[in-house]
Amino acid sequence: MKLSGWRSFVVSSMMIGALAVVAETRPQYGGVLHVAMRAAPTSLDPAELDPAKLAQPDSFGQRSLTMLMFDTLVATDEGGRIQPGLATSWQAPAGNQRWQFRIRRGVKFHDGTPLSAEIAAASLRAANPSWNVSADADMVVIEAAKSDAELLAEIALPRNAILKRNPGGTPSGTGPFHVADWQPAKKLSLAAEENCWRGRPFLDAIEIEMGKSFREQMTALELGKSDLVEVAPEQSHRISQEGRRLLSSAPVELLALFFTRDAVSPDEKLLREALAWSVERGSIRSVLLQGAGQPAGGILPNWMSGYGFVFATDAYLARARQVREQVPNVPTWTLGYDGSDPVARLLAERIALNARDAGLSLQPTSGAVTDLRVLRIPLASDPWVALADVAALAGVPTGKGGGSAEDLYASELALLGTKRMIPLFHLPVSYAASANLNNWTLRSDGGWAVADAWLGTVKP
Amino acid sequence: MTFRRKLLAVFALTVFLSVAAVALLVLGVTRNAFEKSEEQRTTTLVTQFQREFGRRGDEVARRVEAIAASSPVSRMATALNGTSADSAEYFDLARQMAEGYQLDFLEFLNGHGAIISSAQWPAKFGYPDTAFENLSASSGESAFLKREELQDSTALGLFAVRATRISEHPIYVVGGRRLDRDFLTGLDLTADMRVLLYQNRSDHFSADSLLDPSAPVNGSNAARPADKFANLVDAVRQYNQEMSGIVSWSSDQADDEVFHALPLRGAGTDRPLLGILLVGHSRRSYVDLKRRIRASALLAGGGGIILAILLSSWVAARVTRPVVQLAHAAQDVAAGHWDTRVEVHGRDEVAQLAESFNRMTAELLAQKERLVQTERVAAWRELARRLAHELKNPLFPLQLTVENLMRARTQSPEQFEEVFHESASTLLAEISNLKKIIGRFSEFSRMPQPQLQAVQVNEILGQIVKLYQAQLEAPGRAPLECRLEFAENLATIAADPDLLHRALSNLVLNAMDAMPNRGTLTLRTRRDDGKVIIEVADTGSGLTPEECERIFTPYYTSKQHGTGLGLAIVQSVVSDHQGRISVQSEPGRGTTFVIELPDNLEALSETPAAQDAASTTGQFARRD
Repeated sequence: MKLSGWRSFVVSSMMIGALAVVAETRPQYGGVLHVAMRAAPTSLDPAELDPAKLAQPDSFGQRSLTMLMFDTLVATDEGGRIQPGLATSWQAPAGNQRWQFRIRRGVKFHDGTPLSAEIAAASLRAANPSWNVSADADMVVIEAAKSDAELLAEIALPRNAILKRNPGGTPSGTGPFHVADWQPAKKLSLAAEENCWRGRPFLDAIEIEMGKSFREQMTALELGKSDLVEVAPEQSHRISQEGRRLLSSAPVELLALFFTRDAVSPDEKLLREALAWSVERGSIRSVLLQGAGQPAGGILPNWMSGYGFVFATDAYLARARQVREQVPNVPTWTLGYDGSDPVARLLAERIALNARDAGLSLQPTSGAVTDLRVLRIPLASDPWVALADVAALAGVPTGKGGGSAEDLYASELALLGTKRMIPLFHLPVSYAASANLNNWTLRSDGGWAVADAWLGTVKP
Repeated sequence: MTFRRKLLAVFALTVFLSVAAVALLVLGVTRNAFEKSEEQRTTTLVTQFQREFGRRGDEVARRVEAIAASSPVSRMATALNGTSADSAEYFDLARQMAEGYQLDFLEFLNGHGAIISSAQWPAKFGYPDTAFENLSASSGESAFLKREELQDSTALGLFAVRATRISEHPIYVVGGRRLDRDFLTGLDLTADMRVLLYQNRSDHFSADSLLDPSAPVNGSNAARPADKFANLVDAVRQYNQEMSGIVSWSSDQADDEVFHALPLRGAGTDRPLLGILLVGHSRRSYVDLKRRIRASALLAGGGGIILAILLSSWVAARVTRPVVQLAHAAQDVAAGHWDTRVEVHGRDEVAQLAESFNRMTAELLAQKERLVQTERVAAWRELARRLAHELKNPLFPLQLTVENLMRARTQSPEQFEEVFHESASTLLAEISNLKKIIGRFSEFSRMPQPQLQAVQVNEILGQIVKLYQAQLEAPGRAPLECRLEFAENLATIAADPDLLHRALSNLVLNAMDAMPNRGTLTLRTRRDDGKVIIEVADTGSGLTPEECERIFTPYYTSKQHGTGLGLAIVQSVVSDHQGRISVQSEPGRGTTFVIELPDNLEALSETPAAQDAASTTGQFARRD
């Protein structure tokens, strides 16, 4: 009996231990995910994610945030293929100019309103005033001068998420989480949507702290106050060396110098060219970015376009001086940067230093009115859409999209030829997560999904 | 100015100059003493500042040395020992170390002078430090000055260099503190001392290069403009040596400051002038003390002068009193009081003078009495002579007539009756003549005192002309031209109109007598220096100088039948009116009598009758 009792104790202990291990690896419902992010949006409207709207800079974090609350008609998978979203099917019978999207049945907005083609069409019209969007029974009809691939990729972007705009209130979406509390630019509380058409998420809620610097985010992660934080590119190497969970995307963010106006004279174009030749991308990447990212001579990263390597990235000081000497009078340009981004300030100062070597004069400033700025532009996963976004940000009209790689190269070359921008780097998007966060994924395009994520019980 | 006032002025001036000289001497000595004291104080303050400056330099050197010996720098030096080592990961080390060691400037340089990490200009990584040769040579030395180039400006700093050597590839640690507002305000200085820094960035003085801790952070000190330092800064740059100067901030000297300018030179062989340190202290205490001394000196001097004036007044009064008495006595003597005497006090020179004066007046009195006696005798003699002369002329015909009567009675009784009648007529005529002579003498002796009235001289002259108009145009004589040149608005004078009429009539008659043939009688009046001038001029034969001298002497006459009393009467009348008469004449060119009469109007107010008369200006009645 004694032996039997001891055996029973041992067996039961082993079973309890086994169950605990299973519990750690099996998804669990519940818990609140704490996220910190640097962006501080003042609106939850996805239409505000337009890269041409500098008042509220676009960011991957904000895009991911949008996709927690809203859905798009179609979505792109890891391979860049278009997958159904709120639209179950689509077709373009009339030469890719008239697209019809069949709306998924049984989907409701967070306020209980059923999803209809009319609401979806209204949402798309609000986000794209230039489009001709209408509803036809359960079909959303879009007439737009875009190629099929470009339009689908465009519709898959977070800024084209379908929502129901409530006058004076937060918009309602169909995503896995709904808004529980919203303090613009400070904090967003999301609660799990029980009746989400995609199924209820494991997490009960998500608390998102906004406007936090990279340093504050990392401190919050170390203190266990955040489960998911953004990591600056220059910090990713150190974070990974410290053994933390770090996930990085492909280089999907363009870091570039953007001139705020067109070059008004040939001399100014020459000066811009001299500036482009003077920047030591290699040294900057090595030191300021601590090896993160890729030097960029073009707008699109090589993994996206396939020809990115053809653009020169090395500094050519002699060439820069030679070009600069063709201009008799050199003005002093003000180089703007985001004052809350320490790397941006150092980057601006280094570029000014490189420019001085070439005989140019740049005055770094965190002021709003400048001649050129250091900007980070999240690129869309579709190269044509990404190119169009950059062109829109630069204020340069774009031609008809779609076509072969040669067309893409020609378009990019034309865009660079405007001298409105000087690409510097393509940067990855990196996140650090606590050990509690499970099944969290970072897509190659920089977006992250927490619909299937769940929180464990591992102590920090 | 009276003698007393002159004496007082001399005393006061003497005392004032003495006190002023003493005060100036005291001020001068005090100023020299204080200036020496100020120089010593300035030297002390500058020495104190240099000591403080050196202490700060030592502190910088210690901190840089500690950084060079720290583990992170040693690890970096070890890691970068290889030629292919990547220094990128140490890019931010300088900033972190600078914060930890409280340095404004910190750079890590590799053995070739390339910047590994820079706290003050992080973006400058990889660039060579242009002053690397001097910096490497200064490794281990004490702190030195260096101009550091920054992103958009330059700054002066107190730097030190230390090297961390793991093998043959050293890492140079170049750290420093900025010579800025915080550095200057952090210096341990006395309360009235302040330090400014001029950064020598260009060839010309620039107010923007002056760092004044007392000025607003992003502004200028309006009360103390930087331009005031231009001369001192330029002088230091020109002569490249320490200099001192006074900077005036306002018209009040107490606001002045003494600045000692110290040239700050950088390291290296050429030792460039990087900046000028202006160590200043206020002159307020010195100026206030000087003012107190000056006020005390002025107070003492002023009091001394007032006291001296009072004493001088007393002394001058005592000294001058006998002299004043002598002066008054002399005035009395001059006024005719020949018996005036002064009191004699003491035995000094003034007393001797008083005694002499008394003797002089006594002698004068005696001589006067003798003179009067003599004159009286002489006058009697002259009178007797004149009387004898005047009486002898009629007496002789009387004698002859009486003898003729007696001879006729004796020798020609038949003719006696006829002779008697003739002789009686002659006797009566001569007796009448005698009575006239006696009457004139009687008249002269009875000259009355003037009865003053307000008189218009022009009117009196006009009446005289009318009176003698007939004689001037008498058919039996050559016609005389009468010319009247009267001044208009001639002032009224106080005079006896009868006497004045008589005197002027005498002059007119004399003039007419002087011109038996043709001639011009000119009557002229004018105003001169408050007096009325009357001129009676003829174009007669004129007078000799001797006649001019004696013409007013009683009983002197140049006429054949004159008594010699006419002009004497004229002079008497003029004298009684406090006037003066003179004669201008040359033989053959006529004679002019000039009478000067004062207005003498104040005498009118002395008698009511005169006042009444004055109210009837120009109206007077002849006295019987």
